[in-house]
Amino acid sequence: MAAVLQLSQVTKAYGALRALDGIDISLPDNAYISLLGPSGSGKTILLRVIAGFEAPDSGSILFKGERVEAVPPHRRNIGFVFQNFALFPHLSVAGNIAFGLENRELNPITDSAVVRARVKDIVALVGLTGLEDRGVAQISGGQRQRVALARTLITEPSLVLLDEPLGALDANLRTRMRAELRAIRERCGVTFLHVTGSETEALAMGDTVLVLDRGRIAQADDADTVYNRPRSAAVARFLNCYNLFEGQLSKDDFISPVGRFPLQGQKADVRGQPAYAIRYDRISVRPLAAPVTAEEVRIEGTFIADEYSGAAINSFFSLDDGRVIEVESHLSQAAPQTCVPHGRYALVWKRQNALVYA
Amino acid sequence: MAMTAATAEPASADRPARKMPDRTLWLLAPGVIWMVLFLVVPILMMVYVSFWTQTTFAITPTLTIKSWVMFFSSDTYLSALWTTIRIWLIVLAATLIVGYPAALFVGLFVRNKTVQTVLLVLCVIPFWTSFLIRVLAWRPMLGKEGAINLILQGVGLINKPIEVLLFSELSVIIGMTQIYCVFMVGPIAFMMGRIDQSVIEAAQDLGAGFWRIFRTIILPLSMPGVVVGAIFVSVMVLGEFATSAALSGRKVNLLGNIIVTQVGSLKWAFAAVAGVVLTILMGIVVAALLRVVDLRKEL
Repeated sequence: MAAVLQLSQVTKAYGALRALDGIDISLPDNAYISLLGPSGSGKTILLRVIAGFEAPDSGSILFKGERVEAVPPHRRNIGFVFQNFALFPHLSVAGNIAFGLENRELNPITDSAVVRARVKDIVALVGLTGLEDRGVAQISGGQRQRVALARTLITEPSLVLLDEPLGALDANLRTRMRAELRAIRERCGVTFLHVTGSETEALAMGDTVLVLDRGRIAQADDADTVYNRPRSAAVARFLNCYNLFEGQLSKDDFISPVGRFPLQGQKADVRGQPAYAIRYDRISVRPLAAPVTAEEVRIEGTFIADEYSGAAINSFFSLDDGRVIEVESHLSQAAPQTCVPHGRYALVWKRQNALVYA
Repeated sequence: MAMTAATAEPASADRPARKMPDRTLWLLAPGVIWMVLFLVVPILMMVYVSFWTQTTFAITPTLTIKSWVMFFSSDTYLSALWTTIRIWLIVLAATLIVGYPAALFVGLFVRNKTVQTVLLVLCVIPFWTSFLIRVLAWRPMLGKEGAINLILQGVGLINKPIEVLLFSELSVIIGMTQIYCVFMVGPIAFMMGRIDQSVIEAAQDLGAGFWRIFRTIILPLSMPGVVVGAIFVSVMVLGEFATSAALSGRKVNLLGNIIVTQVGSLKWAFAAVAGVVLTILMGIVVAALLRVVDLRKEL
């Protein structure tokens, strides 16, 4: 697949803060890419640099094979969907959507019949038919989101940047718009770069998931790999489904503050801080007296509370050094151990399920 | 059970509804009383007096349209009306031409709120001196031996002083534009400040260059500010008499100057006619400006 966008060694600093610290990415044509990063990781700045609202300090940006660092945003033809939608408040839905066609500097369309036909097509594509003449203040949040998207798609950009596009919507609508965004993208055949702070959104939407950590790309893989094999402890932390222990790697053990975890042939990834990660749903809760096999690791914890979420129960245990461990038990598998508040339990997992970083 | 619920509901819904008019009345009363006593009654009085009979030294409440006929058949009064309209239009255009770019800069390009406030305060600095001093200060500036002429002669650009600078329509326009410009800058800068930066970036991202964005986004979104500023400037310029008296050497007579002269010579009926004409003119101007933009929707 041809790369539509290639960034190499892009840096951007604000005073002493290195917001982008040597970004290397290559986005394929016709794909849905999600970019996961916690707040402050530089994800909005990265989008603004790609769109041209900010100039990088160094590095190169190749868009469709041409360098664009010096090209102003209105000549780049990279779509940008703003987090707050940034609709033109004085124009109708149709006026907003037609704006790009009528007002762009390169090749504007002056024939109003052509514009009307194109608006009609794109309005049907995003499902806004019948609302063309409404003011943008008279439509709902989800509809505004669609207007923002339609307004960008009508100019036929090869790349659309979406800055937390679902952040302003309520939870119900967010899930529905996810499927819709993917469907719209497939119909247009362009590349979407979707920035989000939500790990579930990033994993659900992206053909490829990029993880941004302190101005660097920490991982770029498909969703399954990112979820099951995060490349560093920082990525594991953003995924919000791993218990992490800091510590030291010795020959056959990982020495953590709560004890030694024996290893079983894991290859430690050498990046960043040494850490030991075990996924919430890989841990089982047993009574203290229950036996443990040779491949298992066992620690003890005091039950604090649990949270019921329908398909699963998340239980929280505090260890002897005060840290809290989360355990996720899927209710479809077996009735989980019912825990007594302040009771002590054994937390057990298989050695091979742990991820080790050194 | 259902019965009691049904009867209880209207009673509870009634209570707040009954209370509201009370509060409305109390909130409105001071303003309404004030406006009736000091605005509505005097205006009606002015209209009434304009139909009184004016003799050289006295005025009697016998109704007649003689003053009105006199006003509209006299070249002096009609030319004053025309001068007023002409100067108003020129000053309005001048304040807009000078003020709009300044407001655009302060409201849109200066994103730091503190700097924005400082710049707006700078615009208001001329108001730290009294109106009369500000007007009179133009004389040593524009006069035959004033600063501008001296400098231009010193540099060698001219060898004879430009006389038209002072005691002419030009000097009145210069003076008024300087005084009223800030009333144009303020409201426009306010509207500019409310434009979301990301809206402009969105237009840029869709491919529009600066002038296109200015025409299609910035100008329409700042129109309410222009209209409010234009109303401020219009109302003040139309009622002006001091600037023209001080800077035109009595050559430029606005309706305001006619009123001052007529009142000075105790011609109350004529003054009232000029006053009514001026009030109607302002009413038309304000109504026309309000038609340009629906302020209730925009603000």
